[in-house]
Amino acid sequence: MAKKSVQKAKNTKPFIGILVAIGLVGVAAIGYLATRSADAEIMRIDTSVPIGKAESYLIGREDAPVQVVEFADFECPSCGSWATLTEPDVRARLINTGQVAIRFYDFPLPMHKNTWAASNAAACAAEQGKFVEMHDRLFQGQIEWNGEATSKPKGVFMGYAKELGLDVAKFESCFDSQRMIPRIKGNRAEAERRQIAQTPTFVIGDKAIPGDIPFDQFKKYVDDELAKHAPAAPKSPAK
Amino acid sequence: MTLSALALAGVFLALYLTLYKLGYIGRLVCGTGECETVQLSKWSTLLGQPIALWGCGFYLATFAVATAGTTERWAASRALSVVLVVLTGWGVAFSGFLTYLELFEIHAICRYCVVSALLTCVLFVVAVLDLRDYRSARSDV
Repeated sequence: MAKKSVQKAKNTKPFIGILVAIGLVGVAAIGYLATRSADAEIMRIDTSVPIGKAESYLIGREDAPVQVVEFADFECPSCGSWATLTEPDVRARLINTGQVAIRFYDFPLPMHKNTWAASNAAACAAEQGKFVEMHDRLFQGQIEWNGEATSKPKGVFMGYAKELGLDVAKFESCFDSQRMIPRIKGNRAEAERRQIAQTPTFVIGDKAIPGDIPFDQFKKYVDDELAKHAPAAPKSPAK
Repeated sequence: MTLSALALAGVFLALYLTLYKLGYIGRLVCGTGECETVQLSKWSTLLGQPIALWGCGFYLATFAVATAGTTERWAASRALSVVLVVLTGWGVAFSGFLTYLELFEIHAICRYCVVSALLTCVLFVVAVLDLRDYRSARSDV
């Protein structure tokens, strides 16, 4: 700093002006970005609706030896990546073979403005026995209905309902009534109770594994659990 | 002065990410969506607080020290120049670690984090040049 800085120190007016300008630009930029993602028409959740009982959605067989608990947010990109890239392998090799079942709990995060609506759509599809189909469709089409794409996701979900062969009138009535919100709130409360900090998170046995984990890693945890369930090998006869 | 201005810009950058992480501003305006992947990963908090909040603290500290250095009282202080080099050097090292995590652990790049890492590098270079100026000024005396 020395001499040069001492000279600068005496002439601080332009400097203060620059700082004020940066401050104003910073405040304006944050304001603009926040407004761009503003939730003017997001699905409003009635806060007086009580938290319901946590009730997961089953993907796979109820009696599968390994029951994986998944906490996910329909609008979270990592959840979408796992559901569209890794889960098909998990379904084909582990779920359809009866080794694993996934119990899916909604964990809608506050920064995703359309995630409650997506959970609502999934719950209403579940009412007609098509949770898995809607789950897959929501994740595949995430960029069509997420908060960046639209502030009115219901129209997209109605399209999915029709595409999946749901009774559209019944689906819409369910969606608008928000009667599934207590269940979604319950599922979210379950995630909070278990101190889940990230989506997706998979609970396999006594381990909570966060993140968009690859198939091999998922299978390794499943194999560890299967080994625990495997009947003990018969003891070799004494010689 | 350059340091103060850059650090203040950094404060707003980190503040934006902090507000997002704390759920105050809805969705991140990012484009590719990888910002969210990074911000929602397990690496996005440290000691229970968002990394962005720590970043805010870092930039505020740098801003405070650098601005103090523009006052007559501290303008000729070598200690302040050294503190700035150490502070921004730490920032560069930590940013490097975070960039490593993005590339090899999270496998996603957050453009705001890249801008922050570049900003921290520039802060460090300016701080080093400032300290060098101090030394050359001293040798001129």
